[in-house]
Amino acid sequence: MRAVPGDIVGQMLGQTGSDRSAEAALRGFFGLDRPLWRQFLDWLWATLHGDLGRSWYRGSAVAGMVWDAFLVTAELALATLLLATLIGVPLGVLAGIVRGSRLDAAIQGVNLVGLSAPVFWLGLMLLVGASQLLDWSPPFAWSGPTEDFGENLANLVLPVVSLAMLQAAAYSQFVRGLMVEQLGRDYIRAARAKGMPPFDIYFRHALANVMIPLVTFMGLILVQILGGVVVIESLFSLPGLGRLILTGIQGRDYPVVQGALFFVVVIATTVNLGVDLLYGLLDPRLKP
Amino acid sequence: MTAWRLGLLLAACFAVLLLAPGLVAPQSPLALNPAMALQPPSTAHWFGTDDVGRDVFSRVVHGTRITLGLVTLSLLLSVLVGGGLGVVAGFAGGWFDLVVGRLADMVQTFPPIIAGVMITGILGPGAANLVLALAVIHLPNFFRIGRSAALAEAQLTYVEAARAAGFAEPSVLLRQVLPNVLPVLVLNFVILFPLALQIEAALGFLGLGVVPPAPDWGAILEQGKNFILVAWWLSLWPGVFVLLSALTMSLLGRGLAEKLGR
Repeated sequence: MRAVPGDIVGQMLGQTGSDRSAEAALRGFFGLDRPLWRQFLDWLWATLHGDLGRSWYRGSAVAGMVWDAFLVTAELALATLLLATLIGVPLGVLAGIVRGSRLDAAIQGVNLVGLSAPVFWLGLMLLVGASQLLDWSPPFAWSGPTEDFGENLANLVLPVVSLAMLQAAAYSQFVRGLMVEQLGRDYIRAARAKGMPPFDIYFRHALANVMIPLVTFMGLILVQILGGVVVIESLFSLPGLGRLILTGIQGRDYPVVQGALFFVVVIATTVNLGVDLLYGLLDPRLKP
Repeated sequence: MTAWRLGLLLAACFAVLLLAPGLVAPQSPLALNPAMALQPPSTAHWFGTDDVGRDVFSRVVHGTRITLGLVTLSLLLSVLVGGGLGVVAGFAGGWFDLVVGRLADMVQTFPPIIAGVMITGILGPGAANLVLALAVIHLPNFFRIGRSAALAEAQLTYVEAARAAGFAEPSVLLRQVLPNVLPVLVLNFVILFPLALQIEAALGFLGLGVVPPAPDWGAILEQGKNFILVAWWLSLWPGVFVLLSALTMSLLGRGLAEKLGR
């Protein structure tokens, strides 16, 4: 159902890593709507002829900014993905195994609430909770993992937890559905009939077949997290890509916005491509 | 079916807030009272007051209409344009399908919130721009759903029969195919609602949504952000309302999906 990754890659490769790609992507994006399209044309014109056009040629400056911001966002996104996977997948597997029970209903209830809570609001509440109950608040200044790892963790803990709750709920819901589907299949009944221990049935048979859709979903989640970081980075003042885009747009700093957006689109596309390549590894039938 | 019932119950509560906010919260959501600024929750002000002494309970209740109204409006726009294009593309195929399909792919390249930030950031804050941004973000989704549903329907025998009976193509599309595709689009509307609501709140929180002093939930959260450590009540309640209304739509979506047998 998703856009065929090959297609997007084709677009990317067709215009190899220059700033024109971001423009072309934007062109397609804004082409949907007439007034927006005009806005874009004006902006393109100004970029090519006005003052902003110059900073295009100071490429290193924008690229450097985007790269620094990317490192922050990447750390945030990967930590979130890790935490969400560690919480969401086991919960989903558990709910799938005990489907129909009270525990299953409870996990599903928690999932629904987790899916409904706004990420930044959760962040705000965690901030209040930490300061009121634990008398602790994250440091104001950002420190990279190589500068001061402790400070870095203190910077990351609240944003990562607030981002991960939503994704863990999404994971858990998705994995539960997959497990329920697999456990209803004939091969599971056959395994049960021949007296295979339940542990092996769940973790060697069912889980192995859940892996492929799970990897696709992981890619989807990573792209989702990329969207979520915009708000969470602005809330916690983290100098990542999201905040770069937001401040860039607010300050009308288009070269930076373009550069950062281009980067985000490339990452999203790369993730989708990576997912496709992983299929081959996980399912030998799909090997060319 | 308990999820469905709970969803209906919550929906009824929200309907009351939507139709008669003045009945539930008689205090003005806009009247300033600087002498009562940043008061914690009390019997006079259930949710406390904000930095200019406005009643937060009243603002949140009156905000129901604004926030849920804007999300509904934008998704309606999205389902009309996106779903409509999708149904035509799926039914007709050919170059139209190809061109519109690629456009939808391009919009989808951007993570939703980032696309929203771009559109509202460039056009500036305001209700109309917010609706436009939310509508554009969800266009590809409605397009794909509408397209695949119409594609499946177009291959069924009854369409062939309608053609054989001499119906013109537009008439087959509108009178035979569309009624069968509509439930899928409605279900997708309900499923997307919580997501659209969260993006609406996020854009409001970033100061890209409705212009103050309108009591939009996202806007109240943005205002509350500055007082988060001294006046948590300003941020707690709008978020709870976003959560509850998203939950309501999720529950209704599940119930609806079960009823439609999907």
